[in-house]
Order: sequence, then structure tokens, then C-alpha cells
Amino acid sequence: MAKILVIADIKQGVLKSSTAELLSKAKTIGAETAVVAVGSNIESLTSDLANAGSDTQYIADDPSLELFSAGPYASCVVDAAKQFGANLIWFGFSESGKAVAPRVATQLDAACATEITDVELSGDQIEVIRPAIANKVMQRVKVNTDQLVAVVRAGAFEATEGITGTENVVKLSAPAPDLKAVIKELISDAIGEIDLVDADVVISVGRGVKDQAGVDLVKELANDLKAGFGSSRAMVDGGFMAHNKQVGQTGKIVAPSLYMAIGISGAIQHLAGMTGSKVILAVNKDTEAPIFNVADYGIVGDLFEVVPILREEIKKIKS
Amino acid sequence: MKILTTVKKVVDVELTMHVEDGAIVEDGLQYVINAWDESAVEASVQLKENNGAETTLVSIGGGDNTDMIRRCYAMGIENGIHIDDPALAKADASIFAKVLQKVYEKGDYDLVITGKQAQDTDSGQTGIILAEYLGVPCVSNVIAIEVMDDQHIKVSRVGDAGTEIVELELPAVVTVDVSINEPRLPQMRGIMMAKKKAIDVMDLAALGTSDDEVEGATPKSEIVEFMVSKTRKAGQKFEGDAAEITAKVVDLLANEAKVL
Ligand SMILES: Cc1cc2nc3c(=O)[nH]c(=O)nc-3n(C[C@H](O)[C@H](O)[C@H](O)COP(=O)(O)OP(=O)(O)OC[C@H]3O[C@@H](n4cnc5c(N)ncnc54)[C@H](O)[C@@H]3O)c2cc1C
Repeated sequence: MAKILVIADIKQGVLKSSTAELLSKAKTIGAETAVVAVGSNIESLTSDLANAGSDTQYIADDPSLELFSAGPYASCVVDAAKQFGANLIWFGFSESGKAVAPRVATQLDAACATEITDVELSGDQIEVIRPAIANKVMQRVKVNTDQLVAVVRAGAFEATEGITGTENVVKLSAPAPDLKAVIKELISDAIGEIDLVDADVVISVGRGVKDQAGVDLVKELANDLKAGFGSSRAMVDGGFMAHNKQVGQTGKIVAPSLYMAIGISGAIQHLAGMTGSKVILAVNKDTEAPIFNVADYGIVGDLFEVVPILREEIKKIKS
Repeated sequence: MKILTTVKKVVDVELTMHVEDGAIVEDGLQYVINAWDESAVEASVQLKENNGAETTLVSIGGGDNTDMIRRCYAMGIENGIHIDDPALAKADASIFAKVLQKVYEKGDYDLVITGKQAQDTDSGQTGIILAEYLGVPCVSNVIAIEVMDDQHIKVSRVGDAGTEIVELELPAVVTVDVSINEPRLPQMRGIMMAKKKAIDVMDLAALGTSDDEVEGATPKSEIVEFMVSKTRKAGQKFEGDAAEITAKVVDLLANEAKVL
């Protein structure tokens, strides 16, 4: 039987939805499940971790693990993988996962695949499906080792109702800090900010919003809807939006129920990050903008006129 | 400081891809320098200009890489190594990292800068695995590099909860995001000079890799098939009076798509 270790995705003390999604998938294919959680002051998450679908919880809880550092993080995952005897080790889509997965794979002499959207097991043979070339094609990848470390693309697996686990905590000892790569500072997001990858609705701004006033205008709509607030690369390069808000090939991959692209042209690199969304709404004044080729609903118009109306209309139907 | 930069030739993502019998149709494809590697080249050249450094690039595979390497010379890179060998046809990231390890060990480098991912695989592993093999510190997804002294650099990394500032002891590996810089366009003078510069082309025997680690190694994973991606279809597009069409779309979002 497959033994799947899922790496808990914790941001600002909160367990993110990818953990339950990955554990659900693992249980659905009949695997034995465990989770590994790395951080500081995370003991209170134990029951959440079990409820998400894990039957063993490996927990590395130490003040030294407060800020992300890839080396010590990888040591914890390797420790848990060995204790559990995992043959599949899954990270949810995250920057920490992308940084740690290749390290873990190398230390275990296992194969590594990032951005996977599906996994197929037959006997001992593991195969995965993943997009490549900015999502233009899909690859089927055959794994030639017994163990696979993978980063799962956002939205690939769904949490299944009724799946839970049991509490069985194994404490991991704190790893040695990485003295050669010392994290000095985290210029962090505001506490309580809605996370892009987790949000049910994501609204992104593009060059069409022009400046800070345009960003603020759309931000009000995002606040109304409690939506994640993202960006095209143009507005990040312009200094209006933070780097970790960029959606696309080189930024975040999102797959919300509703994605709104406001003043975004729809370059292939942006599409690579959001075409997994369930429903896409685009607002653009150019009727030929490529974003309309992937949008379920398109409003051709000046966003400065459309966005305030959008707010009002949404308020109306919500009340 | 000696800097090694990795450069890969990749398919141009702006072109339409056709898949037939599980493979990408080669006809009509064009190849370009991987955008993330171009940023790595620019970052190396800026460190050379601002802090003094010797810059070397290494490219693996890709057939004739002369034009791409000359372009990097014209941007300011001083030395170029190209490793090409039929034995690398099925290599995966860990085998490429082994080859890079060999190149690194021959050159006594202080810093390796790679693109954080390649446009053709979007995989993002090679630089990180290389650091593991070398046993040196590594930070990925870097958007700024600052030299502190002979032995230390400070980098900014885009992480999950914001921007992380990390101090690294050299030697080290960093993998960079495209937003670290705006790669310069080569100038005429640089292009002319680049034409005269040699490229150190070698196969694995000349590099001196060991058979079990590279030539005879089974890749840990291999692509067995390419498939067409699911594409989305264009939906309903509304033009006309802003108030009217916006109200209509909100109604559809709520009552047809049921996402509001
Ligand atoms: C290697 C590489 C990686 C990249 N990665 C990413 C990535 O991860 N994410 C990403 O987003 N991009 C990425 N890019 C950049 C990408 O190619 C585009 O340049 C970028 O997405 C364009 O952003 P934009 O749509 O906001 O701007 P533009 O393309 O300039 O589009 C602006 C749009 O706004 C519309 N508009 C203007 N004014 C109004 C108005 N008043 N009302 C309504 N509409 C208006 C215009 O019609 C236009 O369609 C990458 C590029 C490269 C080379």
C-alpha cells in the first residue's frame, strides 16, 4: 500500500486548504497517510492536521523554525519521511515547497516532480502528469525510483467531504540551523490578509489600472468580496503591487471559484497562473484582448467606469 | 569573485505547440535563451561591473549554441563553456546537476547564479540540486543580490509570506526570478567583440564525468509522453452601455455560474 506523507502548508499560524486537498486525494487512492508540520508554536494545529485526513502527525515545533529556512525545513521533512517509510512525499503549491522539494528528493535519492496535476499508481510504478512550456502542453512523467517527492499544483486535488484522520503525534527534534544561509528579516504581508492561493475569489489588476488610485479602486471591490488581491507582472514591475501577489508562470498559480482580471491583456505567462479557475471574468477596454479567449464572462469597457458599477451591483444582489 | 552562470536554450513559448503521437512537432519551432537565465546573465554582469568579478557561463545540450553564447558575451560575460553529448539526451535535473558539479569543481567558483526555472520544463530544480551536491548554501526565487564582503552576499527572496532577506556565506548557489533585472540589449561594439571570442565546447569525456553518475546513470524520472493541454473556450462577451452590461454580467455570475 502506498504511504503518502503530506507537508502541512502553514501560513501565519493557519493551516491552508492544500493540506486537506492533498490528504483527501491520498485517502481516496487508498494510501496510508501522514502529515509533517514545521514551524513555531504550531501545537494547537494538531487536531486540524488530523481532521484534514492524516493518521500520523510528525511535528517539528521550535522557535528556530519561526522564519522559513529551506535547509532545516528539508531536514524535518526527510526525518519524517524516513520514520514513516513514505514512498510519496507531497508538498502543496507554495514557494517554500518549491524550494524544499528538490532538497528532500536529493537527500533521499528520490525523483522529484514539481507542479504535478495528477498521479497514477500501478503496483510499484509511479507516473505523474504535469503541465510544461507555460501550460501549452502536458507531460506524462515516469518515475524510475521507489520514492517520489512532488509539488502539487494549486487546484489539482479537491478536499473530499467526510474524510478525516486520527490523532497520533510524533514529535521531531529541532534541526540544526543553517549557519551559512541566515534569514535576517521577513518583510511580511499584513496579518490576516486573505491569501491568494487559498481565496475562493481572486481579483487581479493589470497595467490597465494605471496607478495607485486605480489599484485602490479595485482593492475596494476585493475587500467587499473578501477576495484575494493579485496582480499581473506589469503592476509588480511598476512597483504598485508586492512580488508575492504576482499571478502567472513565475508567480502564484491560483484556481479559485471566481477569478476577475481587471485591465489585464492575457499574456501567455499570466494565463499560465489562472486558467485553472472555475469561472473567469475579464474587464478590458480592448475587445480583441486575448484574456477574452479564456474568460467565461467578458465586459468590454473602461474599467474606471465598470468597477464602481460592479461594486454596486454585487452589493445589491448580496443584500 | 568568480561567478558561474548557467544558460539553457529553450523553445520559444510564444509559438503555437502541436503535439503528435506523444511528441511535440519540431517543425516551425524556434529556440531562444531561457528568460530566467538571461536574467542570471544580467545579474552576473552587474556584479562584475559593480563589484569586480570574473564571469563564466556554462550551457548543457542544445546542439549549436554559438549564437546564444555570443549574445551573452556581448552582454558582458567573459568565458563560455558548452557541454554537449548524446549521452545527455534523457538526462533529468539531477544528472544535469551532476554535470554542473563537475564544471564547478574545475573552476573554483565563489557564486553560481542560475535562472529559477527553464521556460520549457517549468521545473525549477537544477540549481537547488546542484547546491545539495556541492554542500553549499542556496536561496531560490531571488530578486536582489548585494555583495557584503569577499565571503558574504545578501539576497532578497520572494517567499510565501512576503520578501525574505537572507545572508549567504560563499560559495553559494542562487536561483533568480526574471524580476531581478531588465536584461540589457547587446550593443554593436559588444556584438563585434563577441564574434572573436572562443567557446570551450566539450563532451562528457573531456569534462571527465564518471560513467555511473552521468553517462550510464538511469534518470530518476523521464518524460514518456506529451499531451495537448485542455484549453478554455471563450465565453460570453458584452459590449455597450457599461451600467447595463455590468448588471447583466453580475446577474449571470450569481444565477448562472453561481459564484457570487
Ligand atoms: C519569462 C517571463 C515570465 C513572465 N511571467 C509573468 C507572470 O508570472 N505573470 C504575469 O502577469 N506576467 C508575466 N510575464 C509578463 C507578460 O508577458 C506580460 O508582459 C504581462 O502579463 C502584461 O501585464 P498586463 O496584462 O497587466 O499589461 P498589458 O499587457 O500592458 O495589458 C494591459 C491591458 O489593460 C487594458 N486597459 C488599459 N486601460 C484600460 C481601461 N481604462 N479599462 C480597461 N482596460 C484597460 C489594455 O487593453 C490591455 O489589454 C512574464 C514574461 C516573461 C518574459
